Amino acid sequence: MARVDPVDVVVVGAGLGGSAFCARLSERAPHLRIVCLERGDWVDRSAMPAYRRDWQRAALGAWATSPNARLSADSTSPSADYAIDDSASPIRPLLWNGVGGSTINWAAHVPRLHPSDFRTRTLDGVADDWPFSYFDLEPYYDLNDTAMGIAGLAGDPAYPPKRSPRLPPLPIGRMGETAARGFNALGWHWWPADAAINTVDRDGRRACNNGGPCLMGCPIGAKASADIVYWPVALKNGVTLRTRCVAQQVIVQGGRAIGVAYRDRSGATHEQPAAFTVVACNGIGTARLLLASNVGRGADGALGRHLMFHPIAYARGMFDEELDGPRGPVGTCIYSHEFYEHRPGRPFTRGLQLQVTRENALLQQAARLEPAWGGAAHGLLREEFRHSLPVMVVAEDLPEARNRVALSEAVAADGLPDVRVEYTLSENSRRILDFGLDRGEEMLREAGAHRVARVPLAPLTGWHLLGTARMGSDPATSVTDGRGRCHAVANLLVADGSLFPTAGAVNPGATIAALALKIADDLAREVVG
Amino acid sequence: MTPTFLSAVVDALLPGDRGASPLPTGTAAGVATKLEHLVAGRDRALRDVVLQAIASGAGGEEAFLQADAAGRPAFVRRVEVEMPGAFRALVALVLQDYYEAEIVLLAMGWRAEPPQPEGHVLPPFDEALLGPVRRRGRMWR
Repeated sequence: MARVDPVDVVVVGAGLGGSAFCARLSERAPHLRIVCLERGDWVDRSAMPAYRRDWQRAALGAWATSPNARLSADSTSPSADYAIDDSASPIRPLLWNGVGGSTINWAAHVPRLHPSDFRTRTLDGVADDWPFSYFDLEPYYDLNDTAMGIAGLAGDPAYPPKRSPRLPPLPIGRMGETAARGFNALGWHWWPADAAINTVDRDGRRACNNGGPCLMGCPIGAKASADIVYWPVALKNGVTLRTRCVAQQVIVQGGRAIGVAYRDRSGATHEQPAAFTVVACNGIGTARLLLASNVGRGADGALGRHLMFHPIAYARGMFDEELDGPRGPVGTCIYSHEFYEHRPGRPFTRGLQLQVTRENALLQQAARLEPAWGGAAHGLLREEFRHSLPVMVVAEDLPEARNRVALSEAVAADGLPDVRVEYTLSENSRRILDFGLDRGEEMLREAGAHRVARVPLAPLTGWHLLGTARMGSDPATSVTDGRGRCHAVANLLVADGSLFPTAGAVNPGATIAALALKIADDLAREVVG
Repeated sequence: MTPTFLSAVVDALLPGDRGASPLPTGTAAGVATKLEHLVAGRDRALRDVVLQAIASGAGGEEAFLQADAAGRPAFVRRVEVEMPGAFRALVALVLQDYYEAEIVLLAMGWRAEPPQPEGHVLPPFDEALLGPVRRRGRMWR
């Protein structure tokens, strides 16, 4: 194994956490030599599907949200995927492997956690408090807002006032207005989504033109993603990014990480020595690499455990009047936090978000119908297409040790052990989803839906991979401290969604970025003073 | 496997509909021709398994063709039950070609052009809708 020049910091993973970390650390400590290893490559925006007539089928193949679906499709995906054995999980993990990570195909819905999400043990007697408060993280939320540019509206009573300025909100369209009337009639909260999507030209990126299929990448760059927001800053500051380099192991000697062994695009292996090692490969990839590096404290350790998704159910209302269909950014319309905060007397602990989204493309809508063929399928699609309004019930998943990422004996093509996900939907999450479905249907009926179809648990919704290297003060039940430092290896850090002690009930992107920025600042303070 | 049989299977899957803006049959949308190429090439397994099963279940291709509009779907449904995975793969293939066809997109009130570069127009957000929510007090803890 060839040994390359030592650096101060080696970062594994160029997704949201890794890129925000690199950009911030290189700003705060410009003298540091920083190298980032990324298993995938840059995405060519001009080759994204939304310009092509066959764009719809890309969502079922090379641009599917599931890495397993991409691998099994008869096509070559720009994402550098590894298979995930998800046969023991009702929810399929979704992610992207490349520069920018899963922000390439995210919806860019960027709500913050609530202050109460950081204090679930203190306030509600469940799970664990975070090692710091919302207000400790708030400056970093603001930094990320400024970097990405957030379309939204100030004044949401569900949140403390947000200090960072907002771009004009995205149009909520007929679907949003219809749902808003339903929420208003019931006296329930709703608000236009915070979206990391330009509504005016900004920072050399165009304004969104409501094209729609954000989950297949944004070819016009209106949607913020880490490759176009954080990487230009990091590269300008001198960070070295090595793409198509797959980390094989964090090398630990004498209780300290001394660097990373990796395989480059030619298949040659190298050792990258570094004073600090930072892993940011998402809730599955980080656990996979650290477990393969034998960093965990044995079978009973917290590493890989406490995996949290956001379990999702759908209530889809059918309306006589014409709605928008697949017009507008697909995941960002309006949300309701009426049932977000814990309230004693409800049949569950903690809460949920009701998220009104836009619709999928015609082909995707047709493909999920039951029956999917024959005259009945045509009839269903006629009723639904441009007349449906989906309400996504997003449940807060509580951390449970049995839900985990684990390794198999077999070695995958990328040189790492095969990885599997073991996940069981908890009774509490089930009750949240059922309650949310009832409330979603109530709103849809109030808004005028003549029929409501329910999906009790949507399998292809495992976007949020959280908790597998959780922060905490007890090494028996957590992997890192509040600065992302591994209890077992002090100069080994984590900087992604693996760190979440609890998940809240909102998309985690803003919090992942804020966490990574904070961890970079914490490290910079130590090395710069 | 004759083109006539393939076309009949496609039209059992995608019969089209009637109305002011009717959906065409799968054959009229060009799906049968594409399926003919597919089953002759990389998706031979579909021909050998699903399509053969449909023909066998009916007593042969000719018998399938002789069946009426209600009879053909019944033969197809039987194969759907017997081999759901392979059948679903066949349906996925024909749906892709069908719902990409310009004639189908237009019949559904959509457009043939992809999302970019044109995008879509949505009306601006009317903030007055938020009045009742703005009047609420603090909700967060």
